[in-house]
Amino acid sequence: MTDNWLLRMDDVAVGYRRRIVLPRVSLHVPRGSFAGLLGANGSGKSTLLKTIIGVTPPLSGKVEFASCDGREPVLGYVPQREALDSIFLRSSLEVALMGCSGRVPAGRFFGGEEKRLAQQCLELAGAGDLSARRFSELSGGQKQRVLIARALAAKPDWLILDEPTAGIDAAASQAIMGLLARIQREQKLTILMVNHDLAAMRRCVEEVIWLREGQVTQGRADEMLTRDKLEEMLNLQFS
Amino acid sequence: MNTLREILSPDFLLRNSVYVSVLVGMACPLVGVYLVLRRLVFMGVALPQVSSCGIAAAFALHTWRIIPHVEERSENLLAFAGSTVLTLAVILFFAVMERRGRGSVEGRVGAAYALAGAWSILLLVKNPFGEHGLLDRMKGEVIAVANSDLALTAGTFGVVIVALFLFQKEFMLVSFDRDMAVSLKKNVLGWDALLFVLIGLTISMSVLSVGPLVTFGFLLLPALTAHQLANTMRQFAVLASVIGGVAAFVGFYIAYRWDLPVGPTDVALLGLLYGVAILIKKLFLARASAR
Repeated sequence: MTDNWLLRMDDVAVGYRRRIVLPRVSLHVPRGSFAGLLGANGSGKSTLLKTIIGVTPPLSGKVEFASCDGREPVLGYVPQREALDSIFLRSSLEVALMGCSGRVPAGRFFGGEEKRLAQQCLELAGAGDLSARRFSELSGGQKQRVLIARALAAKPDWLILDEPTAGIDAAASQAIMGLLARIQREQKLTILMVNHDLAAMRRCVEEVIWLREGQVTQGRADEMLTRDKLEEMLNLQFS
Repeated sequence: MNTLREILSPDFLLRNSVYVSVLVGMACPLVGVYLVLRRLVFMGVALPQVSSCGIAAAFALHTWRIIPHVEERSENLLAFAGSTVLTLAVILFFAVMERRGRGSVEGRVGAAYALAGAWSILLLVKNPFGEHGLLDRMKGEVIAVANSDLALTAGTFGVVIVALFLFQKEFMLVSFDRDMAVSLKKNVLGWDALLFVLIGLTISMSVLSVGPLVTFGFLLLPALTAHQLANTMRQFAVLASVIGGVAAFVGFYIAYRWDLPVGPTDVALLGLLYGVAILIKKLFLARASAR
């Protein structure tokens, strides 16, 4: 295992309400890498993700983060867009501004600096013209861009994305993946992404973490996404 | 016109009742906004009933001398204490159960509503004091409000409104995207607890002043009405509060003018406004799609 990791889990039990979903998770996400988390429905991807971001504490063991410039790394989180209730009357700019919440103390309001940064992040994500539009009225691809902008507004050291291309058309999906690859390359960000789209994974991802029947298998994308390996992991026989 | 002049006169006998009604009308929708956003509308039904039960329990314990005797002018404080303690305890219970993800939320809220209603009646029936002022208090008859009660109401709502304004960024973040708030190292439990304390305080004070039915009406109807018309969260909160305050004043005027009970008049008026708002929105959408 490389020493240059940003996230490391060594023999960690993951689950909720004392129910173990993944009994022995050992993985690492190399610093500056683009890692993909794969697995069938119900394989424990969401539970693992919630444990990594701190929503669900591990049942045993510890999730370790390497420091960035002597401090804990800042996380930019992009949830599944369906998880956000459309009843909230928030513009895209207001949603992006939420990413600045980690730096603005309680009881203080967002200032001009935060608003400028949020607008810049929207532009970087290709959603600059959507800032005044209501978030709940955007298309799937547009929402995804705004959520990526929100994560970038946190000035993150790494990004976690939960199925960013699920339910959006092929062109929008390709554009989102291209955007993520560009952000990762230009900002040297570490990215961990859950995605079902194997073709998209193959294009962008360097490291693959695969969950299958409670087991975690990790390797380089060029080794893990070969035809033979896919047949083995998916229990399929490609003709 | 004469009635309006009479109500607005500083010598008006029921002026404190008008002030209390308007304060309830303005404060309740501000916490109601969060009940609507967090899809906890049913909690808005159950908690005022729980709050009433807290008042009945406090007076029962007092009558049975389980808690020390208080002077007549301190009764409101006793009722406020009973109402607040039980409401906050039940909110805390709901929050803990929701976090553990056990059972159904609707089931718990429904059970709390039924039990609180039943216990309120049982405690009243067995309390000789219930025959006198207590029943009126539970019905929310806003008739005579002492200056000290008005000050307590204004002070409590003042604290709630200032806290909601100061910490709107935090309350909105934990309500909109809890997981992201955790990822940004926010104390989600702490902010949730503070929000629920503010909701509990508002409901307790409001039930004490106008009763459970009217409290429920002011918690939800102005927020639902404003949601039809607002474009931003700020408009949503301000509009809900203004609708509540204006409806409380106009409701008082109608009730005084035509000798009707104040609380039900307020709720009926709020219902009418909600209907009008739905109609306006439907017309607006129909016009927009025709263009």
